[in-house]
Amino acid sequence: MTVKYFATIRTYTGEAARRIDDAPVDLRELLETLAGRYGTSFRRAVFEGGELSPEIIILVNGRNVLYLEGLETPLAADDEVSIFPMVAGG
Amino acid sequence: MFGWAGTILRVDLTKGTITREATDPKLARDYLGARGLGGHIVRSEVDPQTDALGPDNKLVFAPGPFTGTFAPSAGRFNVVTKGPLNGVLAASNSGGSFGPELKYAGYDALVIEGKAAKPVYLWIRDGEVEIRDAAALWGHNTADTTDLVRAETDEDAKVSCIGPAGERQALLACVMNEMHRAAGRTGVGAVMGSKNLKAIAVSGSGAVKVADPVAFKAAVMKARKMIQAHPVGGAGLKAYGTDVLVNILNQVGALPTRNYQDGYFPTADKTGGESLAAKQLVRPKGCFSCIISCGRVTKVDNPAYAGYGEGPEYESAWGFGADCGIDDLDAITKANFLCNEYGIDTISLGSTIACAMELFERGFITAKDTDGLQLTFGNTAAMVEMARKASTGEGFGEKLAQGSYRLAESYGHPELSMTCKKQEMPAYDPRGVQGIGLNYATNNRGGDHVRGYTIAIEVLQNGAVMDPHVTEGKAELDITFQNLTGALDSSGACLFSTFGIGGAELAEMLSALTGVDYTLDEFMRIGERIWNQEKLWNLKAGYTKADDTLPVRLLKDPIKTGPSKGEVNHLDQMLPEYYRLRGWDEDGVPTKAKLKELAL
Amino acid sequence: MAKVLMIHPDKCTGCHNCELACSFEHEGQFRPAASRVQAYTWEREGMTVPMMCQQCDDAACVKVCPTGAMHRSAIRANLVDWNEQVCIRCKMCTVACPFGNARYDAASSSIFKCDTCQGAPECVAFCPSGALEFVDDEQQVRSRKKAYAAKFREAFQEVS
Repeated sequence: MTVKYFATIRTYTGEAARRIDDAPVDLRELLETLAGRYGTSFRRAVFEGGELSPEIIILVNGRNVLYLEGLETPLAADDEVSIFPMVAGG
Repeated sequence: MFGWAGTILRVDLTKGTITREATDPKLARDYLGARGLGGHIVRSEVDPQTDALGPDNKLVFAPGPFTGTFAPSAGRFNVVTKGPLNGVLAASNSGGSFGPELKYAGYDALVIEGKAAKPVYLWIRDGEVEIRDAAALWGHNTADTTDLVRAETDEDAKVSCIGPAGERQALLACVMNEMHRAAGRTGVGAVMGSKNLKAIAVSGSGAVKVADPVAFKAAVMKARKMIQAHPVGGAGLKAYGTDVLVNILNQVGALPTRNYQDGYFPTADKTGGESLAAKQLVRPKGCFSCIISCGRVTKVDNPAYAGYGEGPEYESAWGFGADCGIDDLDAITKANFLCNEYGIDTISLGSTIACAMELFERGFITAKDTDGLQLTFGNTAAMVEMARKASTGEGFGEKLAQGSYRLAESYGHPELSMTCKKQEMPAYDPRGVQGIGLNYATNNRGGDHVRGYTIAIEVLQNGAVMDPHVTEGKAELDITFQNLTGALDSSGACLFSTFGIGGAELAEMLSALTGVDYTLDEFMRIGERIWNQEKLWNLKAGYTKADDTLPVRLLKDPIKTGPSKGEVNHLDQMLPEYYRLRGWDEDGVPTKAKLKELAL
Repeated sequence: MAKVLMIHPDKCTGCHNCELACSFEHEGQFRPAASRVQAYTWEREGMTVPMMCQQCDDAACVKVCPTGAMHRSAIRANLVDWNEQVCIRCKMCTVACPFGNARYDAASSSIFKCDTCQGAPECVAFCPSGALEFVDDEQQVRSRKKAYAAKFREAFQEVS
């Protein structure tokens, strides 16, 4: 699976994307793994009190996980996960 | 008056006369200012059948009650007129410092009538107004015009002007202020050119008064805190600018690509806000009273496209980028600089070039038509050259400067113009985001995103989330956004303040400022009134239910690749409910009961 | 310890909130012409610089004032204060200030010069960008110096 990072998330990860070979079972497991890798600033960006931060936008294959199953969204080996901080424009 | 300046200035360029009238407090109360008050003036005084480029059209520059105060990010003004691109009641919104200066000079609106016999400019210093000869300015780009006018008036005067595109009355011409801010859409610059009005210089030494200074300051401090606490209003927009949207729209598969032939552009990241920050950003910039600072001062070093200026915004980066199949940010920024200098709408021009590229690739036009250029998607040099030619009016460029509707129609393929009501749709593919499609189709000025920015909920998770792929609930969502924005645009506030505050905070600040007790309901009703006012104009101008639609491509041709592959827009599932909820009949005509309710 | 109103032009975004806050604090309305701080913008460069009284220790305005209206405050450290009562509006201070930071306002018959708003400058509170800072003199340049020092921290961390 591929995980892509955008905007300020890139400053926490130091990279724009990462390929993951052992696909985690769900989004929570993926984010825990990544937080372990990238550290506190990443963890704080994606989690709030053990739940998904309200200021993070996560897409799985282009679909916002908030109308999939949130942190329990199951993941498959060929999924693409995109992680954004809240962004905006016009 | 509090908030409002109290005077409307009228300049008749045919007769060379200058008159003043008191701002009607009831009109100010019910229409606020800017888009609303300017719209009321144009609707009352201009026949919708009038030639938009003729002397009977009127051109109104109007700030709002907030403009010139420290309400956060609320220093805007509107240019209101009959739009030559498509005949609607056009109101183009701009930031910078021009609007506040009009307030300090003492004016809630500047109404320009008639047509000057030769090029002129206006010099307004408080109560002194002169119509001056502009022969020495005609032909100059907007930056040089600004400096030249200031040399003759006041070095710190705020200047609003047209470039060569407006002088030629190109239908995509815009009005620029402070060199880099645009009242962009619907060809308002062409109206200014049609009146032989090159520039307006303003210097104001007066004050904007406050009804309840203590309450106003408290409401402002609260609103500021909310915006600053918001991840977007408080940090994101300043760090990355609006161009940050490229990647998220692409990742949901709704980044219109190659003239809306697709919704996903694999190399889009090279044109996004992250790349802009890394490669071109000199510093962020804020309009008058702004605490968000989304503006980008930028520099391109690549000698092929070298330049220094402001932008590109998301729309411009898309129009000259993904929509043209181009991922070279330097070229995109160069095209943006050219548009600022010559005064031409980047959204419509980018989309028009994309339309021309599709006509070319399908063989409906050839290199003979395009001055020998291979105008294909992804041809970066050709795109920039066409942007330059459209700006200067050379060759095929002059056709481009009239917009994609007329271009495509002239070659027998109007279906390739990605427009609604002849105005180019912006950078959100309605097949990937249902609600924005309803906004494009019902929008009073045609293809437009800012007046009904459902993207905030459908994609950006701003306070709430709605699935972009469903149609349920979208009619109500669109109406809420359209109404709120109608009032917000008329108050002088910037749309981006809604990344932090909402109608309640705007109403609270407005009440303390003006001394008029605005509830949230009243504020929304004003927005609804302004929406209906524009709709009534459009009906008289000849627009019908048939025009509340999207290009066939978006209704029938699914997106080909990316996360929204296979989707089309289901407008027919949303439009009837939209009319019903608006209190309009089945043909989209406001009922008598609704008009009475809105005092229209 | 004295406070200094420090300007960081590199952070200024040209929003003029400082002018609005200043005029509102002093007059209860928005009249940037009345602001004691003026932010000047150069549009081609996209650069803005705010300017206000620097409270000179050896102030030219104090030297030339015939009545002592312009004087170093005995009450607050690092402040050149203006005594409205004894001022004769001769405007010698406006002539003397080499920075142009004192001006005569005919509308209010006053000398406009930054007074740091009784020690809580409104311009600083309203600046959204940190371009204006009211800071102890010891820490006046800390943010700037530290920002550059951080570059060395990054560089050496990679090597060691």
